[in-house]
Amino acid sequence: MTEYSVEAHGLTKYFEGFTAVDHVSLEVPAGSIYGVLGPNGAGKTTTLRMMLGIVDPDAGTSRLLGNHKPQSVRSRVGYLPEERGLYPGMKAREAIAFMGALRGLDWAEGRRRAAIFMAELGLERVIDEKIRKMSKGMAQMVQLIGSIIHAPDLIVLDEPFSGLDPVNQERLEMLVRRERERGATILFSTHVMAHAERLCDRIAIIARSARRFEGTVDQARALLPMQVRYTPRDAGGDVAASLPPGAERRGDDWHFAIRDDGVEPLLARITASGHGVAGLSITRPGLHDAFVHIVRQVDAGFAADARADAIEESAA
Amino acid sequence: MTSLLRTIFVVARRDFLAIVATPTFLLFLLAPLFMIGMGAIGGFGASQLADSARGAGRIVILAAPADIEALRAADTRLREALPGNKPATLELRVATANDDPVAVAQEKGSDTYAVMSGPLAAPHIVERDEDSRSGAYLALLATDVLRDRAAGAVAPAAPRFESLKHGGTSIAAQQSIGFGAIFVIFLLTLLLAGQSVGMLAEEKGNKVIEILAAAVPLESVFLGKLLGLLGVAILFIAFWMAMAVGGGLVAMTQVDPAALAEAGTTAANAKASAALLAVEPATGWPFFIGIGFAYFIMAFLLLGAIFLGVGAQAGTVREIQMLSLPITILQVAMFSLCSAAASAPGSTLATVAQIIPFSSPLAMAARAATDDARGVHLLALGWQAIWVALVIMLSVRLFRAGVLSGRSNWKFWKRGTGAATAAAGAAETASGQ
Repeated sequence: MTEYSVEAHGLTKYFEGFTAVDHVSLEVPAGSIYGVLGPNGAGKTTTLRMMLGIVDPDAGTSRLLGNHKPQSVRSRVGYLPEERGLYPGMKAREAIAFMGALRGLDWAEGRRRAAIFMAELGLERVIDEKIRKMSKGMAQMVQLIGSIIHAPDLIVLDEPFSGLDPVNQERLEMLVRRERERGATILFSTHVMAHAERLCDRIAIIARSARRFEGTVDQARALLPMQVRYTPRDAGGDVAASLPPGAERRGDDWHFAIRDDGVEPLLARITASGHGVAGLSITRPGLHDAFVHIVRQVDAGFAADARADAIEESAA
Repeated sequence: MTSLLRTIFVVARRDFLAIVATPTFLLFLLAPLFMIGMGAIGGFGASQLADSARGAGRIVILAAPADIEALRAADTRLREALPGNKPATLELRVATANDDPVAVAQEKGSDTYAVMSGPLAAPHIVERDEDSRSGAYLALLATDVLRDRAAGAVAPAAPRFESLKHGGTSIAAQQSIGFGAIFVIFLLTLLLAGQSVGMLAEEKGNKVIEILAAAVPLESVFLGKLLGLLGVAILFIAFWMAMAVGGGLVAMTQVDPAALAEAGTTAANAKASAALLAVEPATGWPFFIGIGFAYFIMAFLLLGAIFLGVGAQAGTVREIQMLSLPITILQVAMFSLCSAAASAPGSTLATVAQIIPFSSPLAMAARAATDDARGVHLLALGWQAIWVALVIMLSVRLFRAGVLSGRSNWKFWKRGTGAATAAAGAAETASGQ
């Protein structure tokens, strides 16, 4: 057993001249929950597909569970594709057992586990219902169960939360945590930050076909300065003078950012200023802000490139 | 390898059940009933026509009373020995003074092919058709009677008949068995293998293809789908075989002697089928039927693989329908080639038909009827199996490159080289045979 469940290096994919994925590397530690975040069309799905060997990369290598051939560890991998799909004529229990059987699970065992999983997730009513009679969200839960029914060591979920109601999203988070406790590694992609923030041990942010960040959620949040909300007790006088430049007043509150080492000096200055403290909060910005920050930076870089190209062209 | 087989069977099982457990399948299964029904109606009509014609056809001799018995005896004797189509029923009439043979020939109520009148030594024969043999037969009868009279009672030859039990089946009969095998295999594959053209459209439509592609090798998806359909085809054939055997048994127990006597033709049919059974393909019936079935499976897999591969490329139902026409034409072309080859066993044409992989199953089935070599069939089956694998591999590569990843610059020779050399090697051994 290697330290990493997934080691992908320099995965690259071109689609007719357009680079869909550009040298993306992912290292997912065994037993962790790993999030691949990115805006729509960033190349998350193609990255996952290459990683799993569904699509051949134009460059780069992928090792799953320490094995160079993704095909040879198929039975130890579970995958929920982005484009959901089940045979509409199959009953839920059969569909789950079928997906298990594809991964090498015995049919009878698959049916047995399907009933247990479905009961746990509040789907016992539709165990013997045909897929075509189910709502989209229910079918998605069935497919999700199908992709983990064989107790895989590596679970890859592509946008698992999209299309689910909050209750089912909660159940899915519970399921993900439980699978991790069982010892599985979970890798999922999403563009909803709340889930990543709650679940992920590590994240990678992919934007414009390339990996732009890799690390823990806290490391991502640390990319942005801490945000301070300060409410003076005595709003009279020049409060702004004792605050860092750029402080912005909203109602009674003042909002501004400080560097990590600026907390103590700030407290000292506020105390010294004599305006008093009615309220004070110093918080890290959420993953959401960090994500938007990173993606904006990348986009700005692209815009700048485009401008530079335009200037070059007009010069020539 | 075992896991590959297992996944093939998982896919095949799903497909088989998905096809069989639908009301549409019942319609599919019973479809030949329509064919049989139409055939029965057509056959009934035709037999009605034939019956009315047969009952009415006759040849007439207007003879002197002294000649009547001699002519009748000659007719009985000669009619038995004549091969092929027997002459029409002979009607003997005592000649009267004012007979007009033309009027007799034109009598209403029956088809009269020829009328003979006058003395036997110089008869006058009125024929409807110049080329017909009816007039000649009448002349032959007259000659025979005259010769008998001249020679007196000549002892007939006492022949000793010996039937050829082994190798006795004529080449023509064996060739028609071969042709029959070609036709049956062709018809079954045409009816059944064509279904595979739309099979992957289902997965593409409901997006299951990505689950399959992620979980199992695409080769086993393709093979599994083919096997599932093959299972359906075998079920279909087994059902109709059972129906035929069951129907035969029921008919045997239900038909009472009275009905048998009434239907005199049944006896003739039974005689004909007994004669057919006496005809034997060169390799013997059990081997021939077994190898014919094996070749059916191969033909099915080969054509099914092509249909499946082509269908996998199609994006819409309309495209699928457009694409299935060229394949059907290919199939018919192979059928014509094999039919031509079956009528000329041992010729270059036959050898070519046996080597071209897509006509090989048909042509080899025909060869089993005329050639008693058995080892060559093993070689042919292997050769065809290689091509099934090759077609599937190519389909998978095309599918992966074109449909799954949406890119155009695929290189089928990159991984296909090993198989191609193997195929080339097999081609050499096959042509060396």
